[in-house]
Amino acid sequence: MNLVIDDVGFTYPGGAEALRGVSLRIQGGESIAFIGENGAGKTTLMKHLNGLLKPSRGRVTVDDWDTREHTVAKLAARVGFVFQNPDDQIVERTVIDEVAFGPRRLGQSETDALANSVAALEIVGLSDESRTHPYDLSASQRKLMTLASVLAMRTPVVIFDEPTMGQDARGLKLIGDIVEELKREKRIVLIITHDIDFCSAHFERVVAMADGRVLIDGPTAEVMARADLLATTNVEPPQLVRLAQALGLPVAPLTIDGLIAALPR
Amino acid sequence: MSQSFSLYIPTNSGMHRLHPLTKLALVFLCLVLGLFLPGVWLSYATFALIIIPSALWGGVLPRLLSALFKTALPIALSLFLIQGLFWPGGTPILHLGPLSFKEEGLYFSIQRTGRFIMIIGSFLLLTFTTRPDELMLALNRHGIPNSITYIILSTMQIIPRFQAKANTILDAQRSRGLETEGNVLVRIRALLPLIQPLLLGSIVDIDERAIALEVRAFGRKGPRTSLLTLHDTPAQRIARWLMLLAAVAVIAWGIYLWLAPRFIA
Repeated sequence: MNLVIDDVGFTYPGGAEALRGVSLRIQGGESIAFIGENGAGKTTLMKHLNGLLKPSRGRVTVDDWDTREHTVAKLAARVGFVFQNPDDQIVERTVIDEVAFGPRRLGQSETDALANSVAALEIVGLSDESRTHPYDLSASQRKLMTLASVLAMRTPVVIFDEPTMGQDARGLKLIGDIVEELKREKRIVLIITHDIDFCSAHFERVVAMADGRVLIDGPTAEVMARADLLATTNVEPPQLVRLAQALGLPVAPLTIDGLIAALPR
Repeated sequence: MSQSFSLYIPTNSGMHRLHPLTKLALVFLCLVLGLFLPGVWLSYATFALIIIPSALWGGVLPRLLSALFKTALPIALSLFLIQGLFWPGGTPILHLGPLSFKEEGLYFSIQRTGRFIMIIGSFLLLTFTTRPDELMLALNRHGIPNSITYIILSTMQIIPRFQAKANTILDAQRSRGLETEGNVLVRIRALLPLIQPLLLGSIVDIDERAIALEVRAFGRKGPRTSLLTLHDTPAQRIARWLMLLAAVAVIAWGIYLWLAPRFIA
């Protein structure tokens, strides 16, 4: 599975130009974090990948599918999108049915839909809540249920929109583990986030956006080292990178071990 | 993308700069003219001679006509079909197999469509050219209680708020494979997963908004400070009084026309 975004421009009906010539190539198995200030165009760009938005100019292809030629429901079989607010999608009376909503719509057999849903609930740690009404879950549990509902669809591409918002340390670790698991399965994992420490801990490539354009695109450590460029889109490098810079070290470490290794002996 | 939860169209026109109460008085006069005087064409005349020129002055005419067309057309069509074909008794003027259009039914439909166009047109003119917070402040300063102005304000915001929420829910469900494009059956089937989160979400919203208002001292008695300033002129004050007097005169004349035949009889 490959994603190609080719010189994409997008203008909202009100006239706001949200994307101005974005081009990216994403290979199967890549994990990419999209960062940048609010209004930079991150969510608009991600919505092009599952066809929720169609480019005003340029082209988006998901493997051999041009997103303009397929409905969102069809593209959902290839691109899963985890939305920010779980309450915007709850429609079933039990957690298991809510998670199985997507797999059933995608035409999975009832056995597969339930098996995938049970597995997804286990991954997010909600197995014991499968018969609970979704509105009886806490806000952070509902967010994890939303995540499970997309994992159960078994799509080769998974997009997360601010998944760490409102999560405690346990939730953060859980989401980090899910990202790592998806990477092991060679799926494409894309995230929109303001949580720079989370993104530097789990993503190999970072795309920083500003004003509807790609500001920097590259390996996480290289992007995080460009504090000057990141500052233009109001992004602060991770704490470890800032500490290394304050110590005058010539590297941008993303882990504590990396920082220790870079310290002069 | 930031989104506004009102129908207000920000433009620096003369109509926009008018005091909110002046526009409210104009709308009130239009409603009174269209509703209290007999005759089929008066609503259309009010619309053509007051609402259209005012919308043109405010630079909102295309949006007003487009919104009006979308709302009035289905109502007008159903009115003409139901009242025209099924008016009890009446004079047939056009035969369609076993059915016939009645003159009285068509007359009634033309009158009601005119009133509908005039009422909706007046409110669209007010909401397109008036900031809701300015209208609320103007009403507050004239002794209208906060609870009443809040009801007016939330009514003005309900359509865009519902629209925005419905779009987000639709995006979330389509991203989970819900097909919304196709024949009428497909579209009807797609309604349930849209309506349930929309209604539940709206109830949750009401609760959250009530708390947000209370923590900001909404229920507090006594004077309040406003950062908004409203521009008013003696000419506008005179115009408001004249419009109100004209409206009262029209109401009195309408009542006289309604009662006179009964007394003469």
